[in-house]
Amino acid sequence: MLVASHLRKEYAGVVAVDDVSLNVKRGEIFGLLGPNGAGKTTTIRMILNIISPDAGEVTVNGKPFEDATRNLFGYLPEERGLYRKSKLLNTIVYFATLKGISVGEAKRRAYEWLKRFDLLSHYERRIEELSKGNQQKVQFIISILHDPQLVILDEPFSGLDPMNQILLKDILLELRQQGKAIVFSTHMMEQAEKLCETICLINRGRVVLEGELSHVKQRFGKNTIHLEFEGDGSFLSGIPAVKQALLYENSAELELDEHARPGELLRDIAQRISIRKFELHEPSLQAIFLKTVGSQGVVASGAATA
Amino acid sequence: MTKAFTVARWEYIEKIKSKAFLITLFLMPLIMIGFGVIPGLLASRPDKESKVIGIIDVSGDILQPLSKFFTERYKLPDGKPNYVLRPIEISGDSDVEPAKRTADSLTANGEMEGYLVIGRSIMTDTNVDYHTQNVGNFRVAERISRTLRDVVVEKKLTSHGLNPMLIKDLTKTIELRTLKLAKGGKEEEAGFEKVFFTSYIFMMMMFFLVVTSGQLLVRSMLEEKSNRVVEVLMSSCSARDLMAGKIIGLSGLGFTQIGFWSVIGIAISLKFAVTLISPLSAVLLLVYFVLGYLLYAAIFVAAGSPVSTEQEAQQITSYLTIVLVLPIALSLPIMQDPNSLMVRVLSFIPLLTPTMMAMRIPIQTPPLLEVVASVVVLFVSMLAAIWIAGKIFRTAILAYGKRPSLPELFRLLRTP
Repeated sequence: MLVASHLRKEYAGVVAVDDVSLNVKRGEIFGLLGPNGAGKTTTIRMILNIISPDAGEVTVNGKPFEDATRNLFGYLPEERGLYRKSKLLNTIVYFATLKGISVGEAKRRAYEWLKRFDLLSHYERRIEELSKGNQQKVQFIISILHDPQLVILDEPFSGLDPMNQILLKDILLELRQQGKAIVFSTHMMEQAEKLCETICLINRGRVVLEGELSHVKQRFGKNTIHLEFEGDGSFLSGIPAVKQALLYENSAELELDEHARPGELLRDIAQRISIRKFELHEPSLQAIFLKTVGSQGVVASGAATA
Repeated sequence: MTKAFTVARWEYIEKIKSKAFLITLFLMPLIMIGFGVIPGLLASRPDKESKVIGIIDVSGDILQPLSKFFTERYKLPDGKPNYVLRPIEISGDSDVEPAKRTADSLTANGEMEGYLVIGRSIMTDTNVDYHTQNVGNFRVAERISRTLRDVVVEKKLTSHGLNPMLIKDLTKTIELRTLKLAKGGKEEEAGFEKVFFTSYIFMMMMFFLVVTSGQLLVRSMLEEKSNRVVEVLMSSCSARDLMAGKIIGLSGLGFTQIGFWSVIGIAISLKFAVTLISPLSAVLLLVYFVLGYLLYAAIFVAAGSPVSTEQEAQQITSYLTIVLVLPIALSLPIMQDPNSLMVRVLSFIPLLTPTMMAMRIPIQTPPLLEVVASVVVLFVSMLAAIWIAGKIFRTAILAYGKRPSLPELFRLLRTP
């Protein structure tokens, strides 16, 4: 569906994106991951032809970009906002007509989506009268109302309450079911892990990791312990057999040394804290992310505050 | 291009509903009328009752003829004299001070508008003092001065032994009527003011259209930048469509505004009896108007798209406004000599072409060669400006914070 090859973009001598290639298929949720400032947004903008790449090309359904290609795209940018003084329904209809939908059809679909997001009673209101979360729902509706084939969502979950996060997740899965290609850009690895089949991890403008999520995980091996416990777990990072530790309040993810023996480790730990779960598994995407992107020092402090 | 019209429609409809626009739409004519018409009406309104003007006539020769001239020349609508002279007696031999004090108190308590002191040597040094509390009433002063001059001239001529009838004939004032020589030798009456107003109205329309829609353009780009809508827009339509849509929509708004004002203005214009220009001149003016307007719109887009704060937006608009005001400020000297070399050269500076031509055409249609050449220059610069503005717009509209430097802008222009 979407093939981007060898994209490159430079701003005033700084390379923002360097040789990034993506291949997004229909009916898949593709995770475009990376830390802040990695070049995700620039990559997305090149895919959408908002900016033109210095090198490389983008094809959609095997064809190079043309004016009509825009109507196939739906985009929810990370930085959000709408015309504050305009009315909700008018705004939605405007953006839909810009994507080539007739006014009547846009209104009909808008009613359906507003109903689903529980916003129908607000449709005559001005955008500025809505809460932040509701504004975000409106913007999501705008990104999918014209039934795009490729939906690009940049941090779609941020700012939504758990109820709406579930609603949004359900809709994403529906869209996948309908055969849409979905690019999901985030730096929240837990969400990416739950939703994405394929990922592409970008750091400093370059692809550092890509492929199907399960394959990526296998590559990192089954030498990670997922631990749940009660008590003070701060000593865990000091154990010699532990190469790297992600500590949370009552859980931890420990990457082991190749020579470490999990059985011995379990015994040692059990003497000091009470264990509720001890599982030898693949590392989480979060751990893979931190291992690939961050330096050791950043990892320890970042995880401790997480 | 359909997307450009979708954008245009949205810009037009959303803005026309805004309170700020409606307020300007209705308030502006009121303010214009307030500033332009009311003082004029007040100044030219005839007095309702006679005004008393004191006179201390040391020479003793002036009072009588001046009084006669005044009653002959200036009458109130009901036929009574507009000005009544009230002689103030001089008590001593030549000391006018006590008389002045009397006159001062009479003026102060409102019995007199003011008073004149006419010296003994009025016939030689021609100096007269007029004392009044209301120095701003230039009409009274102007009438006194003119009448006094006529009195003195008549007296001097009489003293040289001229026949009073001959004097009347000699001093007859000349009424100048200006006739505009139109093509084909037809003459029509066209005072300088009428031609001036034709040009002036054209320039003002241009000015208001550019300023209002320019401001709207800069503001709308700034708004979409600060609410980040621009990214969604740019993923939906090309930068070219977005820019064109904005220019079309917001110009429509500008035209609505001046259209509405013109309706009000027609009544006023009719009063000034604007010179009717030939259809050809009108078409020519329209060509300059549209091309000039598009040139300015492109410049506003180019200058406004990198802006990311309200303050910068204000600055940009005011700089560009100055360029527009300049020809209006120079309009009098230009119109007095519309064929001077300077004016002809200035007509080829694209930013000035429309206003320069607006001043020249109603007076005298410039030579065909100059017209064609200036239209071509203006058209080419308009296309170039739109092309450059499009390039800058596409990148700058996504840029936040710092404004692009000149080298960066040049690089922009080279990218496809």
